[in-house]
Amino acid sequence: MFRVMQGYIRAVDAVNHRIGRMAMYGIFVLMGILLWSSISKTFFVPSLWTLEMAQFVMVAYYILGGPYSIQMGTNVRMDLLYGEWSTRRKAQFDLLTVLFLIFYLCVLLYGAVSSTAYSLGYWGSAPFSFFGGLITGTEEIGTMERASSAWRPYMWPIKSVMILGMFLMLLQCISELFKDVLRLRDEAN
Amino acid sequence: MSYELIATLMFSSMMLMLLTGQRVFGAIGFIAVVAALLLWGDRGGFDIGFSAAMKLMKWYPLLTLPMFIFMGYVLSESKIADDLYKMFHVWMGGLRGGLAIGTIGLMVLISAMNGLSVAGMAIGSTIALPELLKRGYDKRMVTGVIQAGSSLGILVPPSVVLVLYAMIARQPVGQLWLAGVVPGLMMAAMFVAYIVIRCWMNPVLGPVLDASARDIPRAEKLRLLRAGLLPLIIFAAMMVPFVKGWTSLVESSAIGAIAAFMAAVIKGRMTREVFEKSVRNTLGITCMFMWIILAALAFGAVFDGLGAVKAIDSLFTERLNLNPWMILILMQLSFILMGTFLDDTAMLVIVAPLYVPLVGALGFDLVWYGILYTITCQIAYMTPPFGYNLFLMRAMAPPEISLRDIYSSITPFVLVMVLALVLVMAFPQLALWLPEKIYGN
Amino acid sequence: QNTIKWRMQTYAGASLAAEVIVPAIDMFNKIAGDRMQIELFFADQLVPTGELFQAMQRGTIDAVQSDDDSMASPTEVTVFGGYFPFASRYSLDVPVLFNKYGLNEIWDEEYSKVGVKHISAGAWDPCHFATKDPIRSLEDLKGKRIFTFPTAGRFLSQFGVVPVNLPWEDIEVAVQTGELDGIAWSGITEDYTVGWADVTNYFLTNNISGAWAGSFFANMERWNELPEDLQTLFRVCCDQSHYYRQWWYWGGEADLRVNGPKMELTSIPDEEWATVESAAFEFWEEIAAESETKRRVVDIIKKYNADMVKAGRPYRYG
Ligand code: NA
Ligand code: NA
Repeated sequence: MFRVMQGYIRAVDAVNHRIGRMAMYGIFVLMGILLWSSISKTFFVPSLWTLEMAQFVMVAYYILGGPYSIQMGTNVRMDLLYGEWSTRRKAQFDLLTVLFLIFYLCVLLYGAVSSTAYSLGYWGSAPFSFFGGLITGTEEIGTMERASSAWRPYMWPIKSVMILGMFLMLLQCISELFKDVLRLRDEAN
Repeated sequence: MSYELIATLMFSSMMLMLLTGQRVFGAIGFIAVVAALLLWGDRGGFDIGFSAAMKLMKWYPLLTLPMFIFMGYVLSESKIADDLYKMFHVWMGGLRGGLAIGTIGLMVLISAMNGLSVAGMAIGSTIALPELLKRGYDKRMVTGVIQAGSSLGILVPPSVVLVLYAMIARQPVGQLWLAGVVPGLMMAAMFVAYIVIRCWMNPVLGPVLDASARDIPRAEKLRLLRAGLLPLIIFAAMMVPFVKGWTSLVESSAIGAIAAFMAAVIKGRMTREVFEKSVRNTLGITCMFMWIILAALAFGAVFDGLGAVKAIDSLFTERLNLNPWMILILMQLSFILMGTFLDDTAMLVIVAPLYVPLVGALGFDLVWYGILYTITCQIAYMTPPFGYNLFLMRAMAPPEISLRDIYSSITPFVLVMVLALVLVMAFPQLALWLPEKIYGN
Repeated sequence: QNTIKWRMQTYAGASLAAEVIVPAIDMFNKIAGDRMQIELFFADQLVPTGELFQAMQRGTIDAVQSDDDSMASPTEVTVFGGYFPFASRYSLDVPVLFNKYGLNEIWDEEYSKVGVKHISAGAWDPCHFATKDPIRSLEDLKGKRIFTFPTAGRFLSQFGVVPVNLPWEDIEVAVQTGELDGIAWSGITEDYTVGWADVTNYFLTNNISGAWAGSFFANMERWNELPEDLQTLFRVCCDQSHYYRQWWYWGGEADLRVNGPKMELTSIPDEEWATVESAAFEFWEEIAAESETKRRVVDIIKKYNADMVKAGRPYRYG
């Protein structure tokens, strides 16, 4: 059991570390887009796509980078009481409170999945079975959602990135949960 | 159950959950989605969390957030501020408390180059603080100086807090930024006045630098003065095209970030390690803010759905039957109170939308209120138990500075800030004069 | 007996909504009393406008006031909502097209397919440019970053306009922060009402459409659950809102052009503007070629406009 947890932690942390490291350089992509935006505006005709593209990059940046930021521990906590607690106490409380976080992420992920299903032309209320149906061939892609702008990008790519990021965030939080379980076990020994 | 009761329950359970020390965005997001599910069930209860993400994507001014954070890290990690510090050190060392005064000057310049207080804290506690302690300065005073000074980062333009406020209050960022200039400089002057008075009454707090340490050739002194040009150049590269309307807000922020990066490269300070730290920390801090705002937006949407704005409105105007100024003062007091123990960013996203419409309806100027708001945030950043500057100070301070020192160091500075708040309230022209002068036509 | 509660979101921000929707909803709530209450939310308040349609399908929002275009509804008729270039000249054209020329039936079919009740369509104001710098020729449009409706933006981009899409509530600030050079979203009444007149200097008297077309929609299940008399009451209040807008905009446009102090009027000469109009007729054909339904709608619009020309004054001059 603990073995499995350790394996899970290693695998998930490694994947999220790599993806986070890649997302990290998104800041330069963002800079490039905004710089191009000001150059094209000053010297040529302003580009249609820069603002929306920058928004998409920003979303990918913070959502895909989220799990890595959890690893780095940059998400603030109020440590009025927490700061004074022992490692054991902290682990006990985290064990419980991370469940709240996991619940939130599940709802977020559900919203992302159903919104992505919508962006592929599914208007029913069972998005998961729609994606299942896409694989088995019982469902098909309908009117694909486009942003209401003149550039009119399809929305499913960015929404899929959000699904991926939120899913990875969920995996990372489960990894944090396992870490607390292991911490408590180590304390007990 | 009445909507007011639900709103109160949501707020108090959020505070309780924060006390358990969990990640702030988790606590807020959890309350938001649970409330949405209980209230709306499958009629949209599942969607409110995610639609906040789509709303957040459309908040284009937040594109400036990673830019300003990156700028701050490049400045602090590459140590291009060292020369700046030396400049103040040499020029101010001869006065009682001179180094502390110089540190305030340093903080003002750093504030003009980044939008948060992180960079100021980092530079202050790694460069200035050890030096001040070595020179026998009172540790509580200098700890306070750095926390208070770095909080100017959100009042002196560029400012991320004012960008967020602009989003919520739908006020122009350019005017808000300019409105922060005079109050920011005034507050810096008030800090200096405080230091001068304390050190004049009790010279032990800030001893004069030895003559030997001050014995520097005049040419060298003048050369150091040039260090002050760098922040001015970066500030101008970013602000002039923006105020002139040549580049938009988000484009300007990218230009600022690139300018800071180039400055570090040209000065030969952009090592692999500096690069790595700046890029990584930018991701970390940006993620922290964005995930908190994401959760807080969902919380705010549920609050909005409950009609909390109307409830606050009727509470202040009808039930308590107060005049506009009383309401304004009560709001600021409640902010300061909430700011002591709530996450400051979440507070901005959740509470500001409740207050701002009422402030507007009462006939107050929303640009002016943005400055009151930011000063209140500065106070919230420093007041225990919850405050970003406190967290940073604890993480960065040298070991001889205890938690008790950090907590007690802020008292006089918070009082000075409250005084500044009162002054800006009493004399709105302090904030409004500059934007009216520049955007006057 | 439980009070039925609906959440409704409009695409208009608070300042505009105070004129164009709040009175109708207040009226509805007053008459329906304990039987039914509608809570009204403004642009992007509960859900962002881009998500409005999904939110209505799922029941997060029960009813919506919007044009089809800006909320990007997944139907064949979406492009005709908002400002379909040169489709109508006066605000009365819209109800005639819907009620007398058969658009209602097409809209009903299309929205029924996606689980949404199309209640009724109405007109708002004409579509004019409000800009920081003056527009006196088509040349002046080149390179301007303009907030406009998606389809209008698609059409205008052939004249060098760069359409930008942002949340409605952010427009005023975006003009000030330099994200936008101007707005092609409304007539002058709205420019003054929502504050855009304070951040722009010029108003172009040529318009690319004489009236906005938009509708009231409801979640189909929610609609079917209502007793018939409340459905009727809702329709009556929608009609009241349509009627209010007819005189409010019609009177407002003329009044502010003549007496408004904040914007200077400019015009593109008629001969030059005629090229825009003929480009619009090509655009119609382009759209009609996209599907059978779109062809039907375009044919109706063509027939209507031809009839108006034949009818002569006061329907058409010259
Ligand atoms: Na600043
Ligand atoms: Na605080």
